[in-house]
Amino acid sequence: MLDYAEPVTKLIDEFKRLPGIGHKSAQRLAFHIMRVPEADVERFADALREVKRRIVFCSICNNLTDVDPCRFCASTSRDRSVICVVEEPFNLVAVEKTRSYNGLYHVLHGSLSPIRGMGPDDLRLANLLTRLKPENNEGIEVREIILATNPNTEGEATASYISRLLKPLGARVTRIAMGMPVGSDLEYVDEVTMDKALANRHEI
Amino acid sequence: MLLESLEVHKFRNLSGRAAWSAGLNIIYGDNGQGKTNWLEAIYVLSTTKSFRTQRPQEAVAFDEELAVVRGRVARSLDVHRDLQVTLQNNTKILSVNGKRETAARYLTQLHSVAFTADELETVRGAPEARRRFLDRGAVALHHSYIQTIANYNRVIKQKNRLLQDASENELNTDEVLAIIAPWNEQLITLSAEIHRTRTDYVNRLQETLERRLFGGEEVTIRYVSSLEGKGDLSDYETLIAERLRLRLEAEIAAGRALIGTHRDELEILFDKRDIRAFGSSGQQRSALIILDLAAISVYHSWHSEYPLFLIDDIDAELDGKRIAHLLKHLEGRTQTFVTTSKESLVKQYQAQASVYEIKNGTANESHVGSFDAGRV
Ligand SMILES: [Zn+2]
Repeated sequence: MLDYAEPVTKLIDEFKRLPGIGHKSAQRLAFHIMRVPEADVERFADALREVKRRIVFCSICNNLTDVDPCRFCASTSRDRSVICVVEEPFNLVAVEKTRSYNGLYHVLHGSLSPIRGMGPDDLRLANLLTRLKPENNEGIEVREIILATNPNTEGEATASYISRLLKPLGARVTRIAMGMPVGSDLEYVDEVTMDKALANRHEI
Repeated sequence: MLLESLEVHKFRNLSGRAAWSAGLNIIYGDNGQGKTNWLEAIYVLSTTKSFRTQRPQEAVAFDEELAVVRGRVARSLDVHRDLQVTLQNNTKILSVNGKRETAARYLTQLHSVAFTADELETVRGAPEARRRFLDRGAVALHHSYIQTIANYNRVIKQKNRLLQDASENELNTDEVLAIIAPWNEQLITLSAEIHRTRTDYVNRLQETLERRLFGGEEVTIRYVSSLEGKGDLSDYETLIAERLRLRLEAEIAAGRALIGTHRDELEILFDKRDIRAFGSSGQQRSALIILDLAAISVYHSWHSEYPLFLIDDIDAELDGKRIAHLLKHLEGRTQTFVTTSKESLVKQYQAQASVYEIKNGTANESHVGSFDAGRV
């Protein structure tokens, strides 16, 4: 016998499919939904449907977008000779917030992780190779590819894999530096970060 | 380093608070009353790990959402810090003076070395237990090393899965090489760092090892790299890279990683013989005590302060002569916590110790009464 009526159980099961949601949280969310006014639920359901209907992958860079190509790839003011490779669309947002990067992006939608069944074929990599040909990049040669994957083992493996793939093609491949968060006192930086920052020190 | 007090909520069967003394603290009680739980709580507070289980979250009392262990530590006469570990589901929240902290920073506040029945695995168990002993000690010196270990384990896990998949999907060597190279690249860097750190740590232990603490027999230790005899260990990176290249096919056939520091060993000899195979259980206990004391010494010479020393069920693990020897050695050094169910032991040492009697999980400091006059 089910613990709850069928519609409630179905809703809990759906919440449980979401990343990071366990049984308890799913129950809490489901009961929250049952308590809020119907109009709120309608708005929520519409938002879910709309995002699915209107958002697509950019055919050039795989970013999530409501127009294809996305506003970065379609822009005439961005530097088409640099491509910054990130794991997820929210990583792109983080780079973009710096306002100091004016090149293009490439979103992999994941990182290499055999234990999660993610191999090279599961990354959106094929169209990155296509983009390196000037004829597919409005006649402009790509002079640098910046690998901005996460600084964990999966991100490092992904960066290493891509650099092995691209270097034989003559492309300049760089990896973002890991180190000290700016604006913080040395005293408050943890040892791991300090270690990395020391290892990645440079001449001034 | 001084743990002044400890407060526990919903941690196993414990709740309540105890104020501890510098020097020797004896936690006394019948079995099942919770004396080892108190020791475990101190260990969790100081290392964020349990000496009983891989998942300290298991210590959350039955039917409770979370357990809290909170302690006040004196870092100097005037500097006191409140440490707290909150255990909940799959998370551990660490805080210092009410502010949340990363593990690396939290661990700089307090440290303890524990001698328990489980820790005897270090001298009689599989090599993994001895590697853990070294890594635990090295992390207490270089807190960032904890990340190296975590990354290494992660890389090995990923690589093992890759090798398994490769043999199941019958990939050829070149195909495997292409997907495994990014992992081997990290394996080389991380292995080199682990090799360097452990070798350095063993050298430090060597320097302080009280080889003959318990009499005539001599304890010696040596770090044995799994690459020993395969080439020039002083150029570790080159050597391991070459081994990885040569052994790729063997790794594919085995379906798991065969090269790396997860195959290394700490050799422990007692009178020139392997303690694990030839040591009596008394000799194994002596050797572990000697190793623990060396770890304490190394910690002290690095940080200029002593960690806490925890000894579970002291009379079950050590005979009277060894206990006397050990407690004498620790005097004026560590703040020491021992558990016992033997009243005779309490009577013997109460003049130089604070005694806490545990009943139903609660600690009561015994001043007078059942043990004549305890120290006040
Ligand atoms: Zn795009």
